[in-house]
Amino acid sequence: MSTVELPRISRTRATSASLRLSFLMFMADPQWLIPSMIAPVVFGLVAFELFRGSGPYFLTYAILGAGMMSMWGQTLYGSGWAIGQDREFGTLEPTVQSPTPYVYVVLGRVLWNVVSGLIGGAIVYLVVLAAAGSPPTVPDPIGFVVLFVFVMLTLASVGILFSAAWVYTRYSGFIQNVGEFAFYIGTGCMFPVVLLPFWTNPIALVFPPTWALDALRYLAIPGYVGFGWGFWPDIAGAILTTAIYVAIAGTVFKRVELHVLSKGDLSDY
Amino acid sequence: MTDVPAIEVRGITRVFESRKGFLFREHTRTEALRGVDLTVRSGSIYGLLGPNGAGKTTLVKILSTLLLPTSGTARVLGHDVVEDSDWLRPRIGLVLGGERGLYNRVSARDNLRYFADLYGLPGAEREERITAVLERVDLVSAADRRVEEFSRGMKQKLHIARGILHRPQVLFLDEPTIGLDPKSARETRKLVRSLVSDGVTILLTTHYMFEAEELCPEIAVLSKGRIVAHDTVAGLRQLVGGDRTLEAEAYGFEDREVELLHRLPGVSKVVSEEYGPRTRLTLRLRSPETTASDVEAALPGHSELSVRERRTSLEDVYLDLVEEEAR
Ligand SMILES: Nc1ncnc2c1ncn2[C@@H]1O[C@H](COP(=O)(O)OP(=O)(O)O)[C@@H](O)[C@H]1O
Ligand SMILES: [Mg+2]
Repeated sequence: MSTVELPRISRTRATSASLRLSFLMFMADPQWLIPSMIAPVVFGLVAFELFRGSGPYFLTYAILGAGMMSMWGQTLYGSGWAIGQDREFGTLEPTVQSPTPYVYVVLGRVLWNVVSGLIGGAIVYLVVLAAAGSPPTVPDPIGFVVLFVFVMLTLASVGILFSAAWVYTRYSGFIQNVGEFAFYIGTGCMFPVVLLPFWTNPIALVFPPTWALDALRYLAIPGYVGFGWGFWPDIAGAILTTAIYVAIAGTVFKRVELHVLSKGDLSDY
Repeated sequence: MTDVPAIEVRGITRVFESRKGFLFREHTRTEALRGVDLTVRSGSIYGLLGPNGAGKTTLVKILSTLLLPTSGTARVLGHDVVEDSDWLRPRIGLVLGGERGLYNRVSARDNLRYFADLYGLPGAEREERITAVLERVDLVSAADRRVEEFSRGMKQKLHIARGILHRPQVLFLDEPTIGLDPKSARETRKLVRSLVSDGVTILLTTHYMFEAEELCPEIAVLSKGRIVAHDTVAGLRQLVGGDRTLEAEAYGFEDREVELLHRLPGVSKVVSEEYGPRTRLTLRLRSPETTASDVEAALPGHSELSVRERRTSLEDVYLDLVEEEAR
């Protein structure tokens, strides 16, 4: 019986299958257009008005502020929502039942949200550009784009952990279970609204994107002070916190899976 | 290795605790399985028969590593479903069926591609295998249509296609024909029968006796979380006494009359059912002493009385088993 040869599970293939499915679902469902395409336009315009006239780099401020707004929502909310959808469709059961560890499926979903977050960021850029009539002054445009993608990846690590909450519990019980879930991830403060005081609140240091974004500002805005410890410590902090998130996600998903298998509500929504 | 049973269940129980409400929490406790033992040998279709709520889906989910048992042990292919779930998952298939469980907005083929990747089917083999299973379930012509356009029967076929995609050694089919029109149900049963020739072991649940009888050489009857009988079809027939049943029909009977029938020699059971204005009494006979004319004689004064004798059907046996458990 055990002599039958089995195909090897490829994590990369599973992750890209999940990414591909997310894309297909996106293409098939126009309701996604609102958060991913229209919201960045609104954020871009609001940020432009908000930062107008506040120094020579106000355009960069506007782009980063609005870009983060749209990407934060896109990555975190979008990732959780994808899992919520799996619950709703009843596809969470066959997916969990497959030999691929669920975290790789989540990774694919989150990566799709990174891609659509980047599209949102590009839209913000174009909107602010159109409103200002001239491009912002960026000292190192290539470094800027590279760091922008880096910020997205640190965001993705938060998205993966956030998704675990959706596997853990169905939406209606979400609020009730947040406290319980926070215990699992050990920080207790994964879900505060940190959108605006993002770079002023020291609690925000538990979020990898805080570090990455600070580094991005160093690069894009000459004379930027930020946390005050400079560009490279920011990069190191971002990499370290992201690694910790990924490591936690690895164990949390196994535990979350055991929890839902014992509760038996994988198909509830 | 071949003498290891495909499925071996010992003393499995499962309790569901659920809480409802936010401020005033209401606790409910359901014992879905109360000590189930079951052995399924390799290479056959085994039927798990039981009414709604008997615990069929619960047992299937435990065996397919989707749910943890509260107590007891279960082995599939000789491996523990809790401890060795990583070993088992690529080797077993699960078909829960129904309207849910598929990505409705994408095509059937894309659904299968996704799951093929999760099962690690090598890229080159993937498309070939997908076409093969689509042919198997007769969905080739609809393969590139969105699943939301599919009928219930087509969705069920796609569920089965997904279940067999990775060539599992054990396949769990949970009520594969529920909700299907008679034609689709027949096609699905035909498909299930054809799967055994691949050498796969199938555990099929159903609440239709005729379906279990048609597909499964061996059957276990599950009622309220317990196995109340397990045997071959022939064995089950003999289980509930004699092979004759008498039916008496008229416009209502009095309790006194039912009592009287109960006391006739060899009568083990009298079941009363209403059919519009008519009432039917079904008498199960343990021995041949009582005949149709005895029953007629015991029920004088009914102008429209009809009494007939028929063979006890497996359906009768099943209802008896499930009812006995209920009392
Ligand atoms: N997730 C769950 N939470 C609470 N009760 C459940 C859950 N799943 C099943 N049950 C209960 O367990 C019993 C058996 O259910 P099930 O296994 O679905 O039966 P069947 O498949 O034979 O119809 C039922 O009383 C059902 O209400
Ligand atoms: Mg069921």
